[in-house]
Amino acid sequence: MTSPVISVRGLTMGFGGQTLMENLDFDILGGEIFVILGGSGCGKSTLLKHLVGLHKPMSGSITIAGMRMDPGDTETFHRILACIGVMYQGGALFSSMTLGENVALPIAEYSDLDQGDIADLVRLKLRQVGLEGFEHHLPEELSGGMKKRAAIARALALNPGILFLDEPSAGLDPISSAELDALILRLNRTLGATFVVVTHELSSIFTIAGRVIMLDKKSKSIIAEGDPRVLRDTSPHPFVRQFFNRRPEMEA
Amino acid sequence: MTDSPTLTVDLRSDSLGLALRGALNLHTTPAILNRLAKLPLPLPGRISVDMGGVERMDDCGALVMIRLQRMAREHDSAITWQNIPEHVQEVARFLRLESLPETTRSTKTKPGFLARFGMKTLHVTDQAGNHVAFVGELTVGLFSLFRHPGRLRLGDTITYMQRVGVDALPIVGLISFLLGLIMAFMSAVQLQQFGANIYVASLVALAMVRELGPIMTAIIVAGRSGSAFAAEIGTMKVSEEVDALITMGFQPTMFLVAPKVSASFLVVPLLALYSNLFAIAGGLLIGVTTLNLTPHAYMLQTMNTLTIFDVNWGIFKSAIFAVLIAAIGCFKGYQVRGGAASVGQATTSAVVTSMFMIILVDSILAVILRYWRP
Repeated sequence: MTSPVISVRGLTMGFGGQTLMENLDFDILGGEIFVILGGSGCGKSTLLKHLVGLHKPMSGSITIAGMRMDPGDTETFHRILACIGVMYQGGALFSSMTLGENVALPIAEYSDLDQGDIADLVRLKLRQVGLEGFEHHLPEELSGGMKKRAAIARALALNPGILFLDEPSAGLDPISSAELDALILRLNRTLGATFVVVTHELSSIFTIAGRVIMLDKKSKSIIAEGDPRVLRDTSPHPFVRQFFNRRPEMEA
Repeated sequence: MTDSPTLTVDLRSDSLGLALRGALNLHTTPAILNRLAKLPLPLPGRISVDMGGVERMDDCGALVMIRLQRMAREHDSAITWQNIPEHVQEVARFLRLESLPETTRSTKTKPGFLARFGMKTLHVTDQAGNHVAFVGELTVGLFSLFRHPGRLRLGDTITYMQRVGVDALPIVGLISFLLGLIMAFMSAVQLQQFGANIYVASLVALAMVRELGPIMTAIIVAGRSGSAFAAEIGTMKVSEEVDALITMGFQPTMFLVAPKVSASFLVVPLLALYSNLFAIAGGLLIGVTTLNLTPHAYMLQTMNTLTIFDVNWGIFKSAIFAVLIAAIGCFKGYQVRGGAASVGQATTSAVVTSMFMIILVDSILAVILRYWRP
């Protein structure tokens, strides 16, 4: 059994006095594809932002690669940031830069490669996500799916051990969505990186997820944890079975 | 009572008979509701509604049923529905008409005075904390730039120097020229009475170089670039680009704010100098055309009036205004939460706050100068 790369203990999160989730405990193991599930508005993306240190938890701790996440401790925070890559929901590519410049930005900042080598490396990164040849396009010239793939390429720029993906296949057609899933699986296999994915696309979950947790808005806690294929049929929680079998709540 | 195509009313002393017909939708419902509201009160004890003729009903049409039910309840009348077609029943089931809440008015109550006072206080202290944190971060960032100038993103800085400075040249030139022209024109009317034509040159030069040049330039820069900074950073916040910067290990202040502040600091004083030149040119035009001054005499008087201190003082003030405008624009951009409306607010607020701060700081500096150099 591999050891956990991310440990969350007693995490309570929320905004302005309102808690979204209380007392979350879970581990993410090295090399797995870990999926965070839940209904709309339950705090999946917020949890992701806590995991990468953009939000401060109300209480509890997050440990990544043995280091305690604390945005106040700049040195440790930057060492943690060096092991992670994040793909945001809308891609969050810098709109004033071309695709190539977007991917090159972290490489130029954190490595001593010269311009020519960086250009080659950028081409390799874009090749991995199937966007070779688009180096000189601006983000606005790309489709939604291409933007997401480009954002993955940028997240991969420094070969982080852990990749966080926020709704990678949301808003994509079934083919692009399936391509993105295949890409995640291939990257996971070839790079050995840990993936933490927020999604609620059922087909995606069954294709990529090794393990899932499901957040529940009402009880503000994790109501299921494990293999989605097993949970679909055996979970004692009606919401979990509804979710996996795509049934509306009112008819349950 | 008259009948309409969709509603027949049969009012007797002990009963009210209504018949609905045709399509009940957004077009026909208002007229029906209107007629129901005009029925003479009190209503009789029994109301019967015949819905047999209803061909179509949507959720708007359902309002008629809700209104009738409510009227019956208010007047203690017994209501009976007759001949409800299957398709109407289907709509009623879908809308769950039987369980409609008593009133559909807004149930959100306004918080009490104390609660609002508390929320406002929390908001203000939160804001104050943000201000202090931002100013602190910016100061630390700029000082570290003095020690390691290589950390400034040079490409971005040059781009912003162009946007703030070069691109503003036409508008700053035009406005300053016209300002000098107007000033000379207005003062000429007065000074001519005393034969003091030549002092028009002094007035234009001194007023522009000491006060109006830096202020006009700063106001134009606030409107052109301060707003642009706020909108740019605000949009980056909305699209999570700022978050992306942080998780890529960049400091947003160094990455986004420092180039804008440095670029403004470098070019706005130059813009102010340029503005002075154009204003003096405007004054010169009036002096030569309407006051019978020679260009040589006008320029000589201008040079005699101005000291090098006046010029330096104007440049110094411009540099302070530049840092204020850029920092306020960036800060307001950072404050953006949510979406497009918030970006608009940030942009407005950046310009208004900048202008206020420009005038405030200018007044403070004027007072300081008065006592420092009597």
